[in-house]
Amino acid sequence: MFLVVLTLIAGPALAVAAPAAPDILVSRQLLAKAHLAIGDVVTLAGDPSGARARQFRVAGVYEPTPDPMKFNVERIEARLHLDDLLGLTADPADPASADTVSTINVALSDSPDPSRETSFSRSLSARSPFIFATPTRDSENTTFLVVDRFHTAIAAVTVIGSTAFLLALMVIRAEERKETVGVLRLIGISRKTIMTEVVVEGLLVAVAGAAFGVLIAAGAQHTVNRFFQARYDTALIFMRVSPAIAMRSIAVAVPVGVVAGAVASWMLLRRGTSALVRR
Amino acid sequence: MTAFALAWRTARRYRARAVLAVVGVAVIGALNFDMLMLSHGLLISFADLVNSTGYDIRIAGTAGLPLARQPIDNAAALMTQIRALPEVASVAMLRTATAAAIRPDGPPEGVELMGSSDAAGLGLWRSLTGSNLDIAEGDPSLAPAVIARPMADRLKLAPGSTFSIRVRLSGSLSAMPAIPLRVVGIADFPFESQGAFVVATTMDGFRRANGGVLSDQAELMFAQSRPASGPDAAVAAIGKLRSDLRVFSNEQVIANFGKNAFTYFRQISVVLSTTTAGFSFLLVATLLTVSVNQRLGEVAALRALGIARRKIAATLLWEAALLVGIGGLCALPLGEVLALVLDRILRRMPGLPAGLHFFVFEPQSLLLHASVLIATAVVAAIYPVWLAVKLPIAQTLRQEVVS
Repeated sequence: MFLVVLTLIAGPALAVAAPAAPDILVSRQLLAKAHLAIGDVVTLAGDPSGARARQFRVAGVYEPTPDPMKFNVERIEARLHLDDLLGLTADPADPASADTVSTINVALSDSPDPSRETSFSRSLSARSPFIFATPTRDSENTTFLVVDRFHTAIAAVTVIGSTAFLLALMVIRAEERKETVGVLRLIGISRKTIMTEVVVEGLLVAVAGAAFGVLIAAGAQHTVNRFFQARYDTALIFMRVSPAIAMRSIAVAVPVGVVAGAVASWMLLRRGTSALVRR
Repeated sequence: MTAFALAWRTARRYRARAVLAVVGVAVIGALNFDMLMLSHGLLISFADLVNSTGYDIRIAGTAGLPLARQPIDNAAALMTQIRALPEVASVAMLRTATAAAIRPDGPPEGVELMGSSDAAGLGLWRSLTGSNLDIAEGDPSLAPAVIARPMADRLKLAPGSTFSIRVRLSGSLSAMPAIPLRVVGIADFPFESQGAFVVATTMDGFRRANGGVLSDQAELMFAQSRPASGPDAAVAAIGKLRSDLRVFSNEQVIANFGKNAFTYFRQISVVLSTTTAGFSFLLVATLLTVSVNQRLGEVAALRALGIARRKIAATLLWEAALLVGIGGLCALPLGEVLALVLDRILRRMPGLPAGLHFFVFEPQSLLLHASVLIATAVVAAIYPVWLAVKLPIAQTLRQEVVS
């Protein structure tokens, strides 16, 4: 892989272009920004002053691979054949520069050992003093692990707030039915049965709320993605309500509902039957 | 009895629900307060960082990508030209290189080597122990070095100790010989990522590390404008010197950062602060409405006793204000603690400058938080108040007696 900053010296110059101009691909963003069209011939140089410029033909346009690390960067990019790029950027005074690349991507053969990439990169770095090797998996994941932890922490706080909300509602509901529960106790319905009823009610409210929340999120994801995709001109997906996430929110709602129901029923049943029916 | 006293007694009578409502508002209010701090926190923190350097102008080359600019050529001549400008009080340059600290008992550790023409460090480090690069003590044949705290801890280095460093030449199959450096100070480097190994030395030390031969370039230059001219005039004057320069005042750097960097977190903070405000409204409105519905007979009785509608409405408003007010007050310390936790999580992001914080307290956040809560209390009380004041007294009392 060879990443270099090129200068677009001139835009479309189709008329008298060299017939053998090599092909390049340009990103959708560059095509729009430089008002290019497929078949146009452009002049590129590796030097900001335009020295050693060469002409290329725009053979196609591509959508840059969505990259979360670059989502707020304008993707003004072009892809050249490696030989063409080296010919454009190599320093004539340095014969080694035409045989120099910035990055080499290595795919290791399949193996169940997860530490293999680390040991390979360490071994390569130790044997070759001019090479810095690092597993791409780790370097890519760290940022998103951090963002994931941040969102998880916010979700946890929201769950605590929701628990207090549900608990307050369940307490009010329990207060409302104080006399009914007193009568039920008087006719012989056990505390356990009444408690189970309140817990089940709390559970149903929590699960129904979570399911409703999942539906709202599923409906909102399209709007959120469209907004951020338009804002950053990227095909990246910012929000996806996967079945796993939906299941996780419902799974979190279950203990919340049980706790709210249990506390509410305890607050109701801790009083004696006579206290419940007294006005 | 005043409306407030009546509201207070009601809250005390229904203690459990009042406490739960306050807890709910406090937790959601804390999140709301944090999101308000997040919306401007990065920018404030970055501005503090940039303005703490003692230079108000930054000069870079035009070539390269915004985050990987190519060095400025003919740096020495440019320094002289800038220094001669009447708008400029002082100028300094910075050179950087990747290097390896040689360890006698282990593999080399990658470090970032900085060469600074300003012995006080261009504001790029904050001294913890020892001194800056201008110290006269010690072996003069060894270049002085200020090193980052994580490096000092890991390599067990302290002021007075020596270590060797070898510069890595990018894009070239050559190796520089290692040179020894003497540690004169340990410092925090707020612009570098947490845990980064950084070594700052003089320009002479940097030249020695590069085999005694150094191209006439600079990665970055810093200038301080004269108070009489101001940074804008100095920026314009420096920009006229050469066409291959990008010259920014601190204000411009901060404005660019505000436009481009970490916008995701600012947008997420807007979304979450709106959501949490909505959640608080739902919480208080639902609780008050259910509570009023439960106490319709009580409200009707109060009205029948001659208590005015206005007083009933004021009581309900005070109830909402009590729940939201106490919850909102509790949200402040809770929000500060939560902000510390969230900040610690986010600052683990790789490559983030150690001195940058996501959550920064500012009076404006507090004002906005209070405004959101007041609006929440008022809006949440509207429907319950309407229910209470429109109540048919006789019919409600009859229903209450029949039930």
